[in-house]
Formats: sequence, structure tokens, C-alpha cells
Amino acid sequence: MDLATYVLIALFAPLAGATVQIFLGRRLPRHGDWLCVGVLFVSFVASIPTFNAVWANPAFKLQILSEWLTLGSFGIPLGLQVDGLTGIMLTVVSFIAAFIHLYSVGYMHGDPRYSRYFAYLNFFTFSMLGLVLADNFFLIYVFWELVGLSSYLLIGFWFERPAAANAGKKAFIVNRVGDVGFFVGILLLWTQLGTFRFEEVFKGIAAGQMAGPLLTVTGLCVFLGAVGKSAQFPLHVWLPDAMEGPTPVSALIHAATMVAAGVYMVGRVYPVFTPDAFVVIAYVAGITAFFAGTIALTQFDIKRVIAYSTLSQLGYMMLGLATGGYVAGLFHLVTHAFFKALMFLAAGSVIHALHTQDLREMGGLRAKMPVTFWTMMAGSLALAGVPPFSGFFSKDAIIGATLGFVMAHPQHLLLALFAVGGALLTGLYAFRLMFLAFTGAPRDREKHHHAHESPPVMTVPLVVLAVFAVGAGWGGWFERLVRPPVELPHGPAGAHTLALALSLLAAGLGILLAYWTYVVGKISAGRVADRYRPVYTLLFNKYYVDELYAAGVVRPFLALTRGCAAFDLGVIDGFVNWCGRFTRGVSRVQGWIDFRIVDGAVNLVGNAIRAWGAVLRLVQTGVVQNYILVLLGGVLVILLLKVL
Amino acid sequence: MPVITDNIASLGYATPELVLAGFFLFILLADLVFTRNRGQMACTLAILGLAMTLLVTLRLYPAGERLLFAKMMAIDPFALFFKIFFVGSTAVIVLLSPATAYIPRTRQGEYYAFLLAITLGMSLLASAADLVMIVLALEMVSVTSYLLAGFMKEQAASAEAALKYAIYGAVATGTMVYGMSLLYGITGTTNLYEMPQAIARGGAAPLALFVAVLLVLVGFGYKIAAVPFHMWAPDVYEGAPTPVTALLSVGPKAAGFAVLIRFFYAALAVPAGPGRWNPVADIDWPLLVAVISAVTMTVGNLIAINQSNLKRLLAYSAIAHAGYILMGFVLLNGQGLYAMLFYLIVYAFMNLGAFLVVIALAGPLRSEELKDYAGLASRTAFPAVAMAVFLFSLTGIPPLAGFVGKFYLFAALIEAGRAWLWLAVVGVLNSVISLYYYARIVKAMFLEKGPSGRLTVASAHQVLIAALLIPTVLLGIYWAPVARFTDYSLRLLGPLAR
Repeated sequence: MDLATYVLIALFAPLAGATVQIFLGRRLPRHGDWLCVGVLFVSFVASIPTFNAVWANPAFKLQILSEWLTLGSFGIPLGLQVDGLTGIMLTVVSFIAAFIHLYSVGYMHGDPRYSRYFAYLNFFTFSMLGLVLADNFFLIYVFWELVGLSSYLLIGFWFERPAAANAGKKAFIVNRVGDVGFFVGILLLWTQLGTFRFEEVFKGIAAGQMAGPLLTVTGLCVFLGAVGKSAQFPLHVWLPDAMEGPTPVSALIHAATMVAAGVYMVGRVYPVFTPDAFVVIAYVAGITAFFAGTIALTQFDIKRVIAYSTLSQLGYMMLGLATGGYVAGLFHLVTHAFFKALMFLAAGSVIHALHTQDLREMGGLRAKMPVTFWTMMAGSLALAGVPPFSGFFSKDAIIGATLGFVMAHPQHLLLALFAVGGALLTGLYAFRLMFLAFTGAPRDREKHHHAHESPPVMTVPLVVLAVFAVGAGWGGWFERLVRPPVELPHGPAGAHTLALALSLLAAGLGILLAYWTYVVGKISAGRVADRYRPVYTLLFNKYYVDELYAAGVVRPFLALTRGCAAFDLGVIDGFVNWCGRFTRGVSRVQGWIDFRIVDGAVNLVGNAIRAWGAVLRLVQTGVVQNYILVLLGGVLVILLLKVL
Repeated sequence: MPVITDNIASLGYATPELVLAGFFLFILLADLVFTRNRGQMACTLAILGLAMTLLVTLRLYPAGERLLFAKMMAIDPFALFFKIFFVGSTAVIVLLSPATAYIPRTRQGEYYAFLLAITLGMSLLASAADLVMIVLALEMVSVTSYLLAGFMKEQAASAEAALKYAIYGAVATGTMVYGMSLLYGITGTTNLYEMPQAIARGGAAPLALFVAVLLVLVGFGYKIAAVPFHMWAPDVYEGAPTPVTALLSVGPKAAGFAVLIRFFYAALAVPAGPGRWNPVADIDWPLLVAVISAVTMTVGNLIAINQSNLKRLLAYSAIAHAGYILMGFVLLNGQGLYAMLFYLIVYAFMNLGAFLVVIALAGPLRSEELKDYAGLASRTAFPAVAMAVFLFSLTGIPPLAGFVGKFYLFAALIEAGRAWLWLAVVGVLNSVISLYYYARIVKAMFLEKGPSGRLTVASAHQVLIAALLIPTVLLGIYWAPVARFTDYSLRLLGPLAR
């Protein structure tokens, strides 16, 4: 088999699984979980030759082209491509998704919609793999929307709970805002350059066919799509709520599929963004990285803490991309995928054992759940950026890129503060979670008593992911495979050394603070909160962004719809009623003939067609002589028309 | 275009016809010799014959463009396209027949033999490059059709259908042959590919030529059931055994389109650049066909609205679809022809599918009346869902194959400029009308209350329905391979393009 076949197998195996599962899942033995897990491992195995090919030759490029619609000169292409970045993403996404599928077998055990869950999960993975492989804007948008759809289905999977149903809707609607931007951006590119293909778009931009403010605006429109999908400020509000979905789904969304899509897309279409666009992106990303970190400090729901940490890390990725750290940003995407999937699955393991998500009811779980503890520890160290864990390498590179950018453009000093401050916050909230959940005395003895380590089907994925969370940063393999598509400016020489020092310092300080506060008790979290009550309240309420949306967007919108309804009811209906009365008055004056015409005109629309049918039907007499008469008559009529 | 005058050498390119003829005779013979399980054996042989025909047809690729048997037959990608098309649609009919009760047990051998014979006739028609050959092939298709339509001769409806069909067909063919004789008188040749030069040389009176063309058109119009040459269709479609009706609404209709295209584009048009033609000697046959197209779809749809029998309803729907397909014919460009061929493929899947559901339900339901379809979805879900998909595809609703087909037709019309915009408008309006009667069936199946009690549909039919359903959906989403094949198959006019 050639490589293209493997790629197609990797892409379509999950779709095949989803199709079979949605129709036949309930009738299959074990409700088809083995099938859905199986196809994911098939997909993963099929992605390995691709990775090997890319590994052997980093400049490797494979294109599978087809046309979808051709109409004269206009055509919409349907192409897949594999290069270094795709090769990595294909392998990583299918790998992580495979283990999340496996883990779900344990976590979702006994759910009434068990089979449907796996169908959705397969479909989600298929959408993401397609997005990764797309070689043009048209196709990437199709899969972009499919990712949005499947996330909606999975976040609202337990739709009996209003919170889950609302979270699904929220994710979908907020994402739509971004998607519209993305769509407008694609259309702008198409009208200017006349193509959807990445290659041709980049060529056109490099040739200067599109430049200046228009390109900046286009880039920002495209970026808006990523703001929605990758949950950047201010469209980040859906991600924490998405915790209402089953925990493995959260892991999938946070690690491999949904939020990765935006960052990946920005990396894929990198040449579309102008330096001006990147400045805007950098600030959006910096704000996301820092403020999400501050919110994470105050949350007590274990999944929400991790969710806000994801937001913050996504900010880092975008910050890296925007400040010239192309490789660093995407590298963080990959390392983050491993350790964040791990952390979510570990959190799921805790929730599975305790049946609570509240950190205040945990504590002292280290002895009870050793595998979960140690694997989550690995994840947290990677998240905090402690060497030699994977997160250290990627985050250090991002901070290095940001510092380099700030040194070259001192007016953007704020970005450096966001980056380094965010690193400190990361250490702090990550270990706050660890210490609260796993050390100290159990705060809820009842729950602690019943806690137990999860079954192997859940712990094996944890261990496997932990291995990667530890080691994914070693060896410089990523830099070898991923090359920036454009020439990037080199930052000042000192930036990286400084970044190394600062990021280590920040992470260490953060962890130390957490230790002092939650283990030693030198600092009382409660007292700090009391002291800075307004700040704490602001953070605890997530900067009131949701409330701002409610007051600034949702309520005015609802008011507008009510206004429209009132207008419709009062003015339009009034006008219609007035017209009716007027017409009736006039008809009464003009008498029954007019009345009849008005009536007839209304009914004509519906009845005339039917009446014609009935008349025409009469011609079909069943007498063959008549038929022949029609035939010859038809010939005669045509001849007469021609002669006349 | 290479001409192969040697008959023996020509045989090498006529293998599909040879195989079909061989199996036709073989089934008749075997039916006489063997005494037990004759129907089953005939069916197996027919499948075998069709499979072998497909195989030898595929072996003719990559096809050049050749004239065989002293310019009687043409073998080119266009002809091969239709040969595959006919083999495919006949195969569906053969496969669905054993699980039905239409065909008397004692005459099953003949039935399958005739199915191969009609396929043979259609194959010849798609290749016919000479007026004489056209008449012979057309008659072969027609006569076999009469036999098949009257196959349940014990039933009055079937016998009546066959008789009407034969009388009507005789008049139509007679008219056509008369037109051809005029054409021969004007041009002095019977070969389609020699006609343009002959017309250009001769300086015949345009009116005489028009009359000849119009009379020939009667014969082709009768085969594709275009108004006003359509009147046989509803009676025959209703009276004939339903599998035969399904075949008649697809196979011979497509054969009619094949010969229509070859006749008009080879004999009555001259190339004007790549993928474009002009009518020869300024006979305005495109406008003539355009009017027929508009009238055909309108009449077909309007009468379909009031039908209560599903077979009859589908008969009128088939008439309307002939009108749609004709839209591509009038453009005199490659895009129009492309849209026609593509639509034919799509039409075969969805129309055979709709008929298949009617056939599959005729057994357990004992009815083909619309009123008996009420509440069908709750009695047997899969055929009802499939029927809904086929009907929506026939309407042209995305993302189903019918939408893509119609999209190409309308796009070709609109791209051709303002001259044909009116036809596109008529077509769109007709699609809307058609939705009314297609949706009526869906409404009956899903929304209306009917008798309870589960219906079981033969598993062979379920499999076949699925086999037609999958392409109907799939071709609405991804059709690039079919599009490429269709594009390749447009090479019937190579000699003209030169």
C-alpha cells in the first residue's frame, strides 16, 4: 500500500466506525465499544507510516488531490496534504484520541447512551483528522464546522441536565461568532486571489497580490475563527462551561481535537497574517494567558481549574505563534495535548472514585490512588514547566520568542509581563490543585473512605500518557519536523538565556508559593482572599465576562427580539389588519364582482396548478387512437408554427 | 476516425453484443432442455451473462473512436458509457425479479432471455451510426418492450398495455422511418457522420430538411417519452409488470437519449470550436427541442399531481425527468451533454430505487395505491426512509444525488447565456411543482395514520434498496470519480471536432 492509502485509512476509519456505530451500535455485542476503540487504534497505526515518512525526510510533502465540484473554469478542490506538521498532528491526535476512547470504556460504563457516545466520539476524531489533513480553506472550513457540531453533541451529551444542554448550546453559539469571522476571511481571500488552496493563497500573498490593511483585516477575520475554537479572550466563555460534558470528552476537547484546531489553523495558514495582525493576536493571546491563569487560582471545581489552565496555555500557544515563535507555539500544542489529556483523565479518575468535583471535599488521596497521583504529578510538572518535563521545553521556547519580540519592540513590554507572570500563575494553580486534592488530611472522610484506585482500563491510558507528558520534549524532534513557512526575524541573542532564567524562576516561585500556602500553611489562602476581597471576588466571578455578555449582548438581543415581536404584533399586524379592513371596505363598496376576484386571486395560486393537472389528465383517455391523434396533431402544430 | 470495414475484424469490438446475444440464445435453449428449477437457472445465467458483458465492455477501454461493420456501428467512450449503463440497470431488474410474484413460473426463462435481448437492442442503439442501424436497433428494443410489457398476458391490463404500446410504437416508428427516407432523399447517404457534408453540399430546402428532422424526432421522442409523443407511457407503465416498468423508465429511455444525441450532434451539427457546435444548415432544432423539453416537464409534473396510483405517478415523473434531461441537449455545448449524462446516472439510481421500493412493498402490501402507503413508516421503517430519500433526490434536494444532477443542468443553462434563461426558469418552477407530489407520498408514509401490523420486505429487496440508496446519498456529497468518468465518456464526436 502506498502512503496515500494509509492516510485515507487513518482519516476514514473513525468515520466508518461512527457510521456503523450510529446505526447498529446498540445491536453489537458490548454496544460496539470494541469497534470504536478498535478503529481509533487502526487509525493510529495507519498514521505511523506517515510519521515515518516525515521523519525520514522533513521536507516531505504528499498531496492527495481531487475535485469536488467543477463548473467550467470554476472549481472547488478537495485535497489532502501531508507535511511535517500534519504528520505530527495526525499521529498525536489519533494516538491521544485512541487512549481517550479506551479510557471511556471504563468511565462511561453503564451509561444509557453508551453506544451513541462512542459514535459521537469517533465522529469527533474524524472531523479533527480531516481538519488536520485539509489542504485548502474550503475543506478546512467544512471540517471546522464538523468539529463544532460534534463538540456540541458531546458537551450536551447528558442533555437531561439543563446545565449540560445549555453548555452545548453556548459552545455552539459562541463558536459561530468566530466561525462567521473565519468564513468572511475565507471569502475575502477567495475574492482577492480566486483560490481556496493554501499553496496558491500563500503564493499570491508572497507575490503581493494582496497586502496592506485588507490583508490585515482578512487575517484578523481568519483569526476570529481561531478565537472561537481555541477559546481566546473574549470568546473563551464556552470552554469552562464545556466541563458539563463527560470528562473524557473534556480531555478530548482540551487535548487533541477542538481547541487544538484553532492553534493548528493559525499555524497552517501562517503566511496570511501580517505583522500588524500578529500584534493584535499577541495581545489577545497574552491577555488570555494571564487572566485565565488568575481565574484558575480561585476555582474549586477540579475540572474548572484545569479548564482555565487550558485557556491560559492556549494563550501561550497563540502568543508564541504571534511573536515569531512558530515552532514553539505548535510544539506547545503537542506537549500540551499529552499532559492536558493526562490531567483530565487523572481528574476523571478522581471524580470517578469520589463522585465529586469539588476540591474542598478532597484531600489525602495520594495513598488511596497512587497511580492517579503520580501520573497527575507528572502532568502538573509538565504544565508548570519544570525541566525535564515536556512542557518546560515548549513553554520556555515561547517565553523566549516573546522576550525576543519585546526586546525588538520595547513598546510591547506588557506582553513579556503577561508571559512571565502567566508562568508564575501556572506553577501556583497547578500545585494548588495537587496539594488540595492529594495531600493533607481528607476533608470529607465519608467520600475518602469509599475512594479506590480506578480499573486498569482507565489507569493504563494514564500511564501511557504520563510517559509522553514526561518525555515528549526531549531530543529536539519537533524542530526537526516543523519548519516555519515564512522567514522569521531572529530575536536578540540574550533573549533565550533570559527566558530560561525567568521561566524557571517563575515556575519555581509559583510552586513554592503553593507549597507554603497549602502544605506548610505559612500563607493562609482565606486571609489573602479576605484582604483583597474585591480582587478575589472579581477573579472568583471570572472577571464577570459572562455577566458582561448577558448584560451587553444577550439581554439587548433578547430585548431586540421582543421589540421586533412587538413591532410585528403592533405595527405590522396593525397595518395588515388595516389593509384587511380597507380591502373589505373597498370590496363592499365595489360589490360582489370585485370580492370574487380578490378571493379568486388568493386561491388561484394553490388551485390553478391542480386544476390544470386535472384538465390535462382528461386527455389521457385510454383510447389509443386518441393518443396517436395527439402525436400527429403535435407534429402538425409544430409544422404550422414553423411555417407561420 | 478509423473505419474498420472488415466484418471479422469488427467483431473484436462488438464483444458486448456478442456475449449478450450468446447468453440470450443460451437461456432460451437451456429453458427447453432442463425441466427443474428453470427460473432460478435462467436468472443465474442472466446475471452471469450481464457480468461477462460488463467484463468484456470494460476490456474495450481505453476506447478509441472507431466505426465498425462498414460504418454501421460506432464504438467510442460514449457508446461504452451507455453499454455499462444498460448492463447495470438491467442487472438491477434481474436481481429484484426472483423475489417478486409478477412473472408466471412457467415463463421465467423467456423473461430473463428477453431482458438480455432488450439490453442487446439498447447496446446496439447506443452504437448505431447509420439510419438503417438505428431503425433496426430501435425496433429490437421496441419489440422486446412490447413482449415484456405484456408478459402477464392473463391480466387484462398487461395485455392491453402491450397492445397499445405496439400500435403506438408502430405509428411512431413508421413516422420516423418516413422522416429518415426523406433525409436519405435529401442527403443521399444513410450514414450519420457523412450527413453534415452532404447537407452542406446539397443545398436542400430548409423546410424540407426541417420536416424530415421533425418526423425523425417523433421516433426518438417516443422512446424517451417526450410530450406530445408520451401518451403511451402512463398506460404501459401502469399495465406492465412493475419490474418491466422500472426498466422501461430507465433503460430504453436512456437508449433514446443516446441515439438522440448521436443523431443530432453527429448528423445535424457542425463543430464550432472545442466543445461547441452549431446547427447544420441553420435548422433551428435546438429551439424545437427546448420547447418540447419545457412542455414535457410541465405536462408530466402537472398530471402527476393528481395521480393516486404510485406506478402511474412515477410514470409521469419519468416523463417530467425526460424534460429535465432535454434541457442539456439544446445547448450545443459539451457542458450540456455532460450534464445530461451525469443526470442519467443519477436518475438511474434514484428512479430505479423508487420503483424498487414500490415493487418490494407490492408483495406484503398487496397494493400500489398511494392511499395504502399511509403510515408505512411505522410498519416497515427502512423501505419508507429509503423511499423518502429517493423521492427527495428526484425533487433535487441537497445533499442528494438528484440535486447535483439538476445543479449541473441548470448551471449549464445559465452559463450558456441569457438565451436559455427562460428554460432554466421553467425547469426550476417545475422542480417546485414536483416537490408537491413527491412530498405527498412522504407525508402519507410518515405523517398519516394507517393500518397497523408490521410488514416484512424480502431481504433480497432490502439489500438491493440499500445498494441503490448508498450511491443516491453518496453522489450528493462526493461525485468526482463519476464526474471524471462522465467527462471521459463525452468523446463521441471526435471526428466532428476535427
